[in-house]
Amino acid sequence: MRDVWRFMNILFLFSLWVVQDENIISFLLIVSLAILVCLRWRFQLPAWTILIDIGLCILFMPTWSNSVFGFALPLFESFSRQKYIYTIPIVALLPIGEVFSVLLFWFLFQAGFFGVIDNQWKKQRDLYISEADRERRARYELENIKEELLEANCKTAQLAEVSERNRIARDLHDHVGHDLTGASLAMDAYEQLEGKEAEEMFYQVRLRIARGASMLRDTVHDMTPVTKMGADVLEHIAKEFQHTAVDFHKSGDMRNVPVQYWSLLESCLKEALTNVARHSDATNVDIQFDATDTIVRLSIQDNGTGTADPKEGSGLRNLKLRARAAGGSLSVNAESGHLIVCVLPFQKEEGSS
Amino acid sequence: MTIFTFALKRIFRDKSNLASLTLFPIAAIFLPANDNWPLLPYGYQFFGVLILFVAIRLTGLLIDDRQKGVVKRLAAAPVTHFQYLFQNLLAFSVIVIAQCILVIAGGVMYGNELYEPLWLLVLFLVFSFTAIAFTLAWNTLYRNKETSFLIFMAVIMIIAMLGGLILPVDMLPDTLEKIAVIFPTYWLAEGIEWVVLGENIGDFLLINGVLLLYALLFLIIGSIRRIG
Repeated sequence: MRDVWRFMNILFLFSLWVVQDENIISFLLIVSLAILVCLRWRFQLPAWTILIDIGLCILFMPTWSNSVFGFALPLFESFSRQKYIYTIPIVALLPIGEVFSVLLFWFLFQAGFFGVIDNQWKKQRDLYISEADRERRARYELENIKEELLEANCKTAQLAEVSERNRIARDLHDHVGHDLTGASLAMDAYEQLEGKEAEEMFYQVRLRIARGASMLRDTVHDMTPVTKMGADVLEHIAKEFQHTAVDFHKSGDMRNVPVQYWSLLESCLKEALTNVARHSDATNVDIQFDATDTIVRLSIQDNGTGTADPKEGSGLRNLKLRARAAGGSLSVNAESGHLIVCVLPFQKEEGSS
Repeated sequence: MTIFTFALKRIFRDKSNLASLTLFPIAAIFLPANDNWPLLPYGYQFFGVLILFVAIRLTGLLIDDRQKGVVKRLAAAPVTHFQYLFQNLLAFSVIVIAQCILVIAGGVMYGNELYEPLWLLVLFLVFSFTAIAFTLAWNTLYRNKETSFLIFMAVIMIIAMLGGLILPVDMLPDTLEKIAVIFPTYWLAEGIEWVVLGENIGDFLLINGVLLLYALLFLIIGSIRRIG
């Protein structure tokens, strides 16, 4: 916009020159001003170059009185860059020129006016750009935090598993181990004893073994979950789904699957089934759940017509992110029916520890 | 100076380029002279048009580069845009300089009446630079070499006509005569007139000054770093 205004000014000067039938030397002024305009269009020129414009106009004032119209360009620049000091020579030199008309006044006034508007517009634009930058930055940071939180979630689940294992080991060592060692020592003593003392010792051995056994039962009982866990949960969800017929097949050893994966697989299945219920015209859903030595794979295929352009909701996007945080992937294919496949790898080094 | 030598090689590899760069200037030397107008033999009057043709052919290489993605690759190479432009323009300038010298020296040896051959050479050289800058700026407007070339053919005819290379400027209507000043060809025609009639040296400086200013103006416009 700014450059259009500048080139229009050059055009105006040229038409003025044609109409007034001036001598050929003053044409140099127009070409020189055009060069400056082009330079400003291509490069960011420093503010002092405004002085060159002013100097050129002054230089040509004796040969072409209408050079004063050329002052519009430096006036515009100085207002646009808020360097008001450069307007002083223009104002001071105007009365020297022979042309002093209402047209000149209005012409210079519009130059200044456009300069101010240009300045305001530039300020607004810079403001918008910095605002957009800030928001983009904030969004990136949020994304990072989200990923970190997801990773932390996985780590916490692993830590919980390890600490639970430690607790069980400690329990077994402290209580059952203590009683069994005691019983074994008592049995050694029983072999050396006779009569009433032996009977007493035998009774103690029995007591210790009974106590150890019950302690062991209790510990094992603590370990056995009350609620459903693992593949059972997935099966339960599939069974509860009333909207369409659901086939659930599972294969492989489910014990290998890390605990933190279950919540992800569960939300994945729930999301897929919700999508079927809400958006699809499917009549059957086929769920395959396989665990191999290295990966666990959950695929949900429905027989709906599918859409050419599957719109991904935030649910699937979040699941993808979570799957990625766990080192796996989630892919969606809508070519024939809707197919969602979630593949998660086993981290061997952690599993073996 | 790899780009410089490569630009030269590219220009001379094309057989039609080679022909237009050598045959046409030589033909220009042998064109006859007329009594009233033009003041110089026809070949020299029209040599300005020839320079414009040559310039558009030469700078067309830069559009080629843009079309083939060379500019895009250059943007990733350790070569600045300035170096690329400068070395290419230098190669083009070397060619037109050689051509101008050939035409003037050939004319003098053949026995054409050139009045002031040295001033004429200076004029043609300055005009060549302007022509190269002008075609460079022209080419930045186009994405396709053929379109740019074809439209420029028509433009050359118009500016040569209005500028007074094909017809005397005096034959044009007053307004057109005034507007003709913006075309570089007008200044070339003025320069030729000065060489023949030889008045004030200041006028000749003014003419060359305007042509150089035009060269600068078009160079600034033509230096846009457009990646195709």
